[in-house]
Amino acid sequence: MAEKYDVAIIGGGSAGLAALKQLSKLGKQAVLIEAGKQPGTKNVSGGILYSKKPKNGLAHNVEDVFGPEFLSDLPIERRITKYMLHSTSRNRVFTMDLTAAHEYQTNFAYTVLMNKLNAWFASQAAESAERQGGGIVSGVHVRSISWLEEGTAIVETDELEPFEVKAIIAADGVNSEVAEITGARPKFTPEQLYQGVKVVVKLPAEIIEQRFGVGPDEGAAHLFAGDVTLNHIGGGFLYTNLDTLSVGAVYHFDSLMGRPAEPDRLVNALLKNAMVSEMIKDEVPVKDEIDRDLPKEEQLRIRFAVSKLIKTWNELRDSYYSPAARKKLVEAGKYKSEEEIKSRLDLVRNELEAKYRTKFVTDYVELEYAAKLVPDGKRCMMKKPYHRNVLFIGDAAGRGVFIGPRIEGLNVGIDDAVRAANAVARAIDRNNYSQQYMGEYYSQLVDDSPYTRDMKEIDKDYLKIFLDASKDVPKDIIGQRYGVVIKLMSSGTLRGLAVGFANLLGYDRLLPLVESEDTYVQVPIELAEKMGRPINAAYEPSIPTLAQRVAKLKYDDDRISHIKVLNPRSEFMKKMVTLCPTNCYTLEEEEVTLQHEACIECGTCSEKTEWRHPRGEKGVIYQYG
Amino acid sequence: MTEHTLNVAVIVKLEPDFTEGNVSYNSDGTLNRAETKSILGPHSAVASNAAFYAKVRYGARVAVTTMGPPIAEQALQQAQLLCNAEELHLYSDRIFAGADTLATAEVLKQGISKLDGGKADIVFSGHRASDGETGQTGPQTAWKLGFTFLGNVIHYDIDLRNRTVRAKRLISLQGFYDVVEEVEAPLPVFIAIDPSYKASFHTVSQRLAFEKYQKEAKGRAQNYKQYLKVFNAQQLGADPKLVGLPGSPTIVYKVERIPKAKASRKADVIDGSDREALRKVASKMYEVLEGMVIK
Amino acid sequence: MSEKYQHLYVVIEHDDGKLVPVSLEMLGEARRLMDGFNKKYKADEKVVAVVLGYNAKKMCDELIFFGADAVIYADSPELLHSRNLVDTKVVSSIAKDRELAGKFADASQFIKPRYMFFAADSIGRHLSSTVLAELESGLASDINKLVVEDLEIRHEHKTKGQAMKYEKTLEMYRPDFSGFLWTTILCLDNRNPAIAREYHPQACSIIPGVFAPIECDTSRRGIVVDYQPTFDERDLRVKIIDRKIVKSAVDFDSHKAIVSFGRGVKDAPEQNIRLVTELGEQLEAEIGISLPISKKPFTVGESISNLYMIPDRVIGTSGRKVEPLLYVAAGISGAMQHIAGMKESGFVVAINPDENSPIKDECDVFIKGRMEEVIPLLLEELRKQKPAIEVKK
Repeated sequence: MAEKYDVAIIGGGSAGLAALKQLSKLGKQAVLIEAGKQPGTKNVSGGILYSKKPKNGLAHNVEDVFGPEFLSDLPIERRITKYMLHSTSRNRVFTMDLTAAHEYQTNFAYTVLMNKLNAWFASQAAESAERQGGGIVSGVHVRSISWLEEGTAIVETDELEPFEVKAIIAADGVNSEVAEITGARPKFTPEQLYQGVKVVVKLPAEIIEQRFGVGPDEGAAHLFAGDVTLNHIGGGFLYTNLDTLSVGAVYHFDSLMGRPAEPDRLVNALLKNAMVSEMIKDEVPVKDEIDRDLPKEEQLRIRFAVSKLIKTWNELRDSYYSPAARKKLVEAGKYKSEEEIKSRLDLVRNELEAKYRTKFVTDYVELEYAAKLVPDGKRCMMKKPYHRNVLFIGDAAGRGVFIGPRIEGLNVGIDDAVRAANAVARAIDRNNYSQQYMGEYYSQLVDDSPYTRDMKEIDKDYLKIFLDASKDVPKDIIGQRYGVVIKLMSSGTLRGLAVGFANLLGYDRLLPLVESEDTYVQVPIELAEKMGRPINAAYEPSIPTLAQRVAKLKYDDDRISHIKVLNPRSEFMKKMVTLCPTNCYTLEEEEVTLQHEACIECGTCSEKTEWRHPRGEKGVIYQYG
Repeated sequence: MTEHTLNVAVIVKLEPDFTEGNVSYNSDGTLNRAETKSILGPHSAVASNAAFYAKVRYGARVAVTTMGPPIAEQALQQAQLLCNAEELHLYSDRIFAGADTLATAEVLKQGISKLDGGKADIVFSGHRASDGETGQTGPQTAWKLGFTFLGNVIHYDIDLRNRTVRAKRLISLQGFYDVVEEVEAPLPVFIAIDPSYKASFHTVSQRLAFEKYQKEAKGRAQNYKQYLKVFNAQQLGADPKLVGLPGSPTIVYKVERIPKAKASRKADVIDGSDREALRKVASKMYEVLEGMVIK
Repeated sequence: MSEKYQHLYVVIEHDDGKLVPVSLEMLGEARRLMDGFNKKYKADEKVVAVVLGYNAKKMCDELIFFGADAVIYADSPELLHSRNLVDTKVVSSIAKDRELAGKFADASQFIKPRYMFFAADSIGRHLSSTVLAELESGLASDINKLVVEDLEIRHEHKTKGQAMKYEKTLEMYRPDFSGFLWTTILCLDNRNPAIAREYHPQACSIIPGVFAPIECDTSRRGIVVDYQPTFDERDLRVKIIDRKIVKSAVDFDSHKAIVSFGRGVKDAPEQNIRLVTELGEQLEAEIGISLPISKKPFTVGESISNLYMIPDRVIGTSGRKVEPLLYVAAGISGAMQHIAGMKESGFVVAINPDENSPIKDECDVFIKGRMEEVIPLLLEELRKQKPAIEVKK
């Protein structure tokens, strides 16, 4: 006898968890199914979480869903107070302060790390859900969905016995298997997507604050365009977290398909840039080679002693550079004063240097490598985000906001989640889960969302702020290409007309002009060359190889292969050899074969392969996300 | 107090943390216990997971027990986090020191008969400890308790009505094959859990119960002292002649380096068509293989 | 001369009449030990094999050929498969049985065996623990070296601090968790009057693959004693419901050598894998694979694919960690995950055409060449030195 529940939410990212929380608040029972070991272990974001106050319309923000607890617990990294755009060419940089543009219609913007954020969402949502007889089930991968005659859905998974639900909210991300299983929409194509790749870099908290000129809870967001993009359409980013940095790049997937570049090379181009390398640098201990002529036991003793000392030095240093941690250590009685922590730190360092010949050099410390596809809502948002009694939210519905430097996904997913939850709750109250009553209603709610408007039209006021920020840019550089446009936009009256006209034309006609190599590469390069200031990098960062990055990732390897190559000789697959962020494909005598030990489930190859997520708990396990 | 269908105990051990960054070695290769952190032993953790399965599926009452110095409390706390135990026992007394497995089993047997929940239906232990590694304490405790011993268990289910357990065991016959044996035995039993054991729950409701008990476990483990009972020898009713060093038939006589000359690896590169070099390699291979055989 | 504690009882393991290799190894070591013992102490103590089974009496002769002086054979349908509860009681009863001992020696004073051996495998490790709990004596497990010595012991508890001579003590050596050290365990009587106690047998469980059996000697004679076990009704309620053989011998631990292959077989997978297995046979090695192979990246015959391209053969962080005396990596580039699984091996030989592959830093001999060319030559050289041995499995 199959177990029965009211609602199944598939996917435990921020959107799915918000849906669970909202449904529980409305007194409804829902079960969230997440394939990873825990919610958060398979999510990646750049990432910034926004809360918006649109002039027209209402946005359901994270603090609306999760309440004052969100603002008091704040499972976030830093509140962004600075937002800069850098145009790069070699070691020259031209900087534009876009903070005003960033704050447009914004309550706040927080940098986030997905593992921590979603873990918090999960514990909050689970608690609420349990009171309604539901909860979160992790380590389960949904394999198929079918329907009984009256419309009840049967959910089959790899791990559990099948169970029945009246409504489903699909929140399983850009590579949504639910979309494929149900046939609700075709797979996204390269023109509709961005490929994002990033690394998390370690940097102690107070060093971040000193270097980026921000206060203890504050943070900075830096964007990069120009030669760092290796001539691809998109840009790089560097966000400050509490004691780490998120450094990465996001590029048009079709630009990458046109001229394939290895994703790790793209992120490396950013890391090697003089300004970026100066931002990420830190002090790093380098172990000395152990004398091979010593007896094996002594070699062992030294190896473990050095490891332990380095671990102690790192932990102590992290505490020393964090005011909260310093206080805690003193309060716990471990140290009499904060100065004592410093002296202990120096002592450990001296021991390492004197006794074990450890060297302390300038370099950067990379913690985690990650990648994911990101949907460009302007090009791929589902017009009808539902199928029978399945509602699609967030990236699964293709709803990511990409407007120039404005990239938003998390807040959109959360907003969708609330609308979907409301539609489902209404359906439960009337016991009517039909497409007309539930799906269509949800679709209308989504149409009303200010984010949907952003994905369809240009907002003239945003445009103005953006132009104001670029007023220092000499007209001759931009003038050649966009001179007329700029003139139009700078005048208030004409702007309104121009934007109206542009919106008539539609995004898809305008975008190729705006989102072009010129905009993201050539113009910034010229800016940097003509107006930029030189940055001298004090060192050369030692960048890990892809093999080293992959070795650092945690996996629970699934013995069954979760991706099948359908056409090993196709042009698409040949490009995958370059475009897979973890080099899972090799070309052998004209045939592409998969060796997926290192798959991080980004979805790059999903369009033309039989692509599934691994079974429950299996696959990559992100620590930061 | 809710009516429990099953009364379950787990025997755990606090062991050195062998992971790099936490472990320290002396120059002679022996473990530097003073400098090495201690944690709940990995096999004890698996045993705790096995006990948790009984709680989630059958609503069992769980107790965790250990013999050790006062610091062994930490093992009990970490185990409680894994299995949401209702009761924690620490058997600690100076006269228990130096115990070999037989003397340890004597203490554990005494302690397990003093569970709040009454007579145990199942006692779990890990396969072996990561430091001592004898794997003897479990079976010997089982014998003293008079429980049927089932080792290398990879899966189990209970028939509450008939009070029997059905278990799958993984038996390796070295040099032959592996056998998965399904065995049925009446309670009470002692189960030594195989390191590869993984509890699995197959329905949504079981999974939700799992989450619920996990959360409860976090709360309990934070206040573990409330659940802790410490017993000394007298409170256990232990016979001083049967515990500690006096009760240990075996002693450690000496510790010495195993004479093994292992040079670090620097490869000799030879050409695959060089017959003479291959002959030498072949000869070296046989030499290596003859090496360890004691005639 | 009859003493209270005499003879070395070896608890034999078999599967339905087929002797597990470690049984013969134990007998070999028992024979060597007791020959030395009898010579040194001018005694005539016996190596006694203890066998529990059903309709498996034909094993007994083989046991004598391999070193037993006597075999005590307990036969019953209840002993067809090992059940710890039942077996422990039968073995313990046999060990304490004076009448049985009397069948092959003067047993007028006999109480228990002097020494006992068990196998350190799934069954033996547990059986030895419970038997010794029943016999209330000491057990050392996972032993790989044994010496009989007269020792002078000074111990706070056992000898109340005085120096005392313990004759005929079995020194039991076990390698510790780091792999560097030998810990020597002794099972000693308490001679401290306050806690006086005799602890016999001195028992140990023996690591498979460490000792060698003696040459099979069909001229050896010995005594076979039949034993009729009795059972407690309650114990028989432990029922074996099903037994499934899980896999064919993927047993790395009991092989001294492992030959692994990786994606270097790709040019002619069937032929190359066959070469690898031939090499494995010549070296009496188990076959391992690198992780990609388990995902079956090439088409080969079903038998090869089912036998070799399976997860159980994977060596590496996602598979098994092995430390054989000899490790041969053919067509393996040396991905970090694989290295982690085999770097503790004694002697490593790599066969690879690419001198820049990472495996070069983790091996002792790097044979540069393609395996289809190198392995046949290597096999020739190996065969010249040792003609192909009949592998008994």
